[in-house]
Amino acid sequence: MTELSATPAAILPDDAPTERLKRPSILRKLRRDKAAMLSAGFLAVVVALGLLAPWIAPYDPYDNNLRMMLKPPSAAFWLGNDGLGRDMVSRLLFGIRTTLAMGLLAVLAGGSIGAVLGLTAAYFQRLEGPIMRVVDILLSFPSILFGLAIAAVLGAGTTSITIALTVAAVPSIARITRGAAMVVMQQEYISACRAIGMSDARIMFRHLLPNCASTIFVYLTLQLGQTILLGAALSFIGLGAQPPTAELGTMAADGRNFLFFAPHVSTIPSVVIFMIVLAFNVLGDALRDVLDPRLRQ
Amino acid sequence: MRTPKRGTLLGTLALAALLPAALLQAAAPAAAQSTVTVMRTIDTDRYDPHKSTARSTAEALFMVGDTLVALDPDLKTVHPLLAKSWTVSEDGKLYTFKLRDDVTFCSGKKFTAKDVKGSIDRWLDPETKGVVKNRAGDVKEVRAVDDYTVEYELTQPYSELLFQMTQHFHTIINIDQVKELGADFGVKGFDGTGPYCFESWEPRNELVLKKHEAYKWGPAFYDNKGPAKVDRLVWKIVPEDNNRVAGIQSNQGDATQYIPYWAVDQLEANPQIAVTKAPNYFWTYFVGFKITREIADDLTIRKALNLAVDQKAIAEGPFFGKAEPAYSYIHPNVLDYNKQGVDQSLFGFDPEAAKKLLDEAGWKVGSDGFRYKDGKKLHLLAYSFTNIWQQIMEAMQGDMRKVGAELEIQVFDATVIWGKLATQDFDMFTMSYPYVSAGDAMNLYFPSANRPTPNRVNWADDETDKWLLEGRGALTPEDRFAAYAKIQKKVHDAAIWIPIVHEPMFVAAGPRLKPIPAHGIYGAGLYKGLGIELK
Amino acid sequence: MPLDSCNAWHGRCQGNDGRPSSGVRVPLAVLQHIAHRLLISIPVLIGVLLIGFLLLQVVPTDPATVMAGPTATHEEIAAIRESMGLNEPVFVQFGIYLSRVLQGDLGRSMISNTAVATELANTVGPTIELMLASLIWAVPLGVILGTLAAVRRGRLSDRVIMAISVAGVSMPIFWFGLMLIQYAGFHWKLFPFQGRGGPLWTLDGLDHIVLPALTLGGVFIGPVARMTRTSLLEVLGSDFVRTARAKGVSEYRVVVGHALRNSLIPVVTLIGLQIGFLLGGAVVTETLFAWPGVGRLAVGAIVSADYALAQGAILVLALSFLMVNLVVDVLYAVLDPRVRAR
Repeated sequence: MTELSATPAAILPDDAPTERLKRPSILRKLRRDKAAMLSAGFLAVVVALGLLAPWIAPYDPYDNNLRMMLKPPSAAFWLGNDGLGRDMVSRLLFGIRTTLAMGLLAVLAGGSIGAVLGLTAAYFQRLEGPIMRVVDILLSFPSILFGLAIAAVLGAGTTSITIALTVAAVPSIARITRGAAMVVMQQEYISACRAIGMSDARIMFRHLLPNCASTIFVYLTLQLGQTILLGAALSFIGLGAQPPTAELGTMAADGRNFLFFAPHVSTIPSVVIFMIVLAFNVLGDALRDVLDPRLRQ
Repeated sequence: MRTPKRGTLLGTLALAALLPAALLQAAAPAAAQSTVTVMRTIDTDRYDPHKSTARSTAEALFMVGDTLVALDPDLKTVHPLLAKSWTVSEDGKLYTFKLRDDVTFCSGKKFTAKDVKGSIDRWLDPETKGVVKNRAGDVKEVRAVDDYTVEYELTQPYSELLFQMTQHFHTIINIDQVKELGADFGVKGFDGTGPYCFESWEPRNELVLKKHEAYKWGPAFYDNKGPAKVDRLVWKIVPEDNNRVAGIQSNQGDATQYIPYWAVDQLEANPQIAVTKAPNYFWTYFVGFKITREIADDLTIRKALNLAVDQKAIAEGPFFGKAEPAYSYIHPNVLDYNKQGVDQSLFGFDPEAAKKLLDEAGWKVGSDGFRYKDGKKLHLLAYSFTNIWQQIMEAMQGDMRKVGAELEIQVFDATVIWGKLATQDFDMFTMSYPYVSAGDAMNLYFPSANRPTPNRVNWADDETDKWLLEGRGALTPEDRFAAYAKIQKKVHDAAIWIPIVHEPMFVAAGPRLKPIPAHGIYGAGLYKGLGIELK
Repeated sequence: MPLDSCNAWHGRCQGNDGRPSSGVRVPLAVLQHIAHRLLISIPVLIGVLLIGFLLLQVVPTDPATVMAGPTATHEEIAAIRESMGLNEPVFVQFGIYLSRVLQGDLGRSMISNTAVATELANTVGPTIELMLASLIWAVPLGVILGTLAAVRRGRLSDRVIMAISVAGVSMPIFWFGLMLIQYAGFHWKLFPFQGRGGPLWTLDGLDHIVLPALTLGGVFIGPVARMTRTSLLEVLGSDFVRTARAKGVSEYRVVVGHALRNSLIPVVTLIGLQIGFLLGGAVVTETLFAWPGVGRLAVGAIVSADYALAQGAILVLALSFLMVNLVVDVLYAVLDPRVRAR
């Protein structure tokens, strides 16, 4: 496969080497984008809620009370109760915490591995073939199958999902990174670095990586939303977080069994997932518009 | 071809353009055949009576095949089916069956005593690697005395035999076809004498049966002795709960016994849907302790945890009040239940008493709310099925937390868990099972030879083994009861299970069908399928 | 990747005759490219086989126990293990498997004894049908939405369109599907929602595929729309478009006639890359709508430890993924000479 095929973001800057991340200007541009700011604000609130969950949750998210099973929203329980009578508000707060932690961890881990693979493939010509073939192999497995196999080995649960999501993130990020790095590699100053005897590692991580960083970063933002959704799909086929862990995907998937009876149990976490993913996507799109010089008119 | 449905949007749109074609398609099947679709959640591996114990196997085999004797909906009376009559010798070792002479297989072959002998011989043949052979009794020999007389001889009496003979393992198969098909038997074809015939099977999607035209030997408790009232019957796999509930109300599927509990009231309230309940049905949910594991080996803890669990709340919660809370391992209505011996109060709900038991045993509550003794946490690992079990276990987790015990749950898919349950790596496990009598249940779960599966609690007790033999070999109902009663008392006193609920069985019939009488046998609510009829 | 100042495959910038400049050299170069792609697919394929095999080796489920069922005794399970050949060493099992596969024999399901090839043949069709039915409306709609958004870049309609298409991809697919079942299927009785009605050319078949295809396609609009928008914006900024505009070509012709065609290449690539993603969605969709497809089969086979069937399904899925990408890649080379020139 060509590096062109690795451009779902189409954000490979042609003038990247001279273009470092200029934070002030980027922020200023982003600030003009209302949707992006709204998304960023929303995500900040969500992250804060997740972080503060243990202190702000009105009830114990694991305290079940079968008498309150599937009760609709009420004054005492603002978003109603789930299949075991647990408070939906509290479970949502803890769920956000788990889901975001899983998603971030997977994207960061997968992103790092993928980025290193991509950089290596771009920098060492000899390794390009083998690395990209491995990436092709990984890419050939639908991530849902990976999730299944990993869950079968380690048992279903947050650890398994996180590993599966990590594995799923590696190949696409490796490709994106390689594509971006290849462009940078053609620049003269890389040859200059080599000429003055700079070490390979230094060139890769001090010069190559920073120049691909914006591309990778944008892609990671977009990937995060997809990762959360994949986690939800894995929950649907029964590989979700183990009880009583509150996790948005698992809550939505488990609650669906009562969808026609007590719609709030599944709908509320689904809507929260939807909004988080939407916010990440909008933010990612906006970042890409700002960071990709060719789209600037 | 499916029967045509009410006009749908696309249909209406396309109709203008495709009128002639559409008419052709719609008209042809409607005139020719009536098809009924039965929805269920999971398919089986193969339709072979000797190789599968799955409920989904039983569901189909009861329809495509017959057993020598049939079980009444009361689950206590045995009726003639392929056998007109039978006698049992005084020593209980020789059963002589007189067979009907008017029975044919779907293939047209005449049914004779040779098929009975062939079926049992195949099951017991080590080559077959048949399952649950103990359900055949200790067979010495099965003889076809003449075309319509079979002698079934045992080396020792087996008091359960006639009940076992109503189960699908005893289905009489066309042994010639079995040989012909080899490994494809039960996959590509099945030849039986049942009210329906095996037509085709697409694993995990649908099993298509067609009416057995010659059938007229249905058991006495059916008004319709045959042939079946519908031409084709399709067993369809519909894994999603919501889809089945919506489907039966909109004619996408016509019948199902897999109704989520939350939907029972909703379906009963729908005038177009007929929900029937099996008058007798023995299917019990329990959580077992692996009594060879640390902590789970402690009788006091087992008793305390039993008192901690609120069965009534579970029956009213996840089961929406449709199930009956269980305070004994087997249903009190079942044959040979020991009413005097079983102390139901052991399994009641009394968290204060549970705390007291644990306090007395030296388990002190730590700062995290869980109990500790000698630095060890009161922690148990449970392997659980998915779906409703997950809810039950989470409820139990909450109940146990309230008395200071930590329950860790690992949930596995229904197909994975059997392998997991064969290990020794857990402290507790979830299980639900069908049975026809006390002896049936005791013989399955408590012989020491059945460790580690299905005797997953690792119950190994010489007295129990001895009583099981006595029960199996009993010549009178009184002796049989006496033996099984002793076992029941002993295993209940040891509190090795936490009984949860006795499950009910509902069968829902959609708008096109008349109400279907539900039968409790082996969880296969439609039994022979002779009660399925279009309005 | 820096864009050439002239888009060569389109050729229009070379003059007014519209002929691609590199016309003569195309066949040989393309053949070489295809040969190269095929060659590097071989190690990938073997890797896929190996990983598929190893993945199932480490799965702790014992197929013999599964097969024996809930009430089987220890001896019965041991007997079944032996008869299934599970006591052979792992590498022997892989060797046997590999040689069989090379001979085109995918084996038999360990559980039902049906030929794996038959099971796959039965289920691959419905899945392809479902995927095509999803793509056939989602891709054009995505392209139209993306084009509209690109043309009206930065305006409210751009925002709304992108929000809608992003919304599609941000929804848990099972929830969307269940909503369709409840409203479109159950309450409004517009379409059936259970199983496959038959071949697509029959009314029943068409009727049954609508809701599953809506569900699965719904998640695909977003990526396609976004890709089209980005790629189109990129092309619209390139020199040949400016030239065309300078020459007074109408904006509609610039966008639809010139720019869009060029910007579809990455969209095609995206579809190839997203087959795996689509398949994940297909597993869920197939379960919701009781659709007899290969996604459900693969998942079912893995969880029930039916090694032969799972391996066969994985092989077919990976193979089809490789094929789609090979086709995309070759198409790409045919369309864009810059790729070959590398």
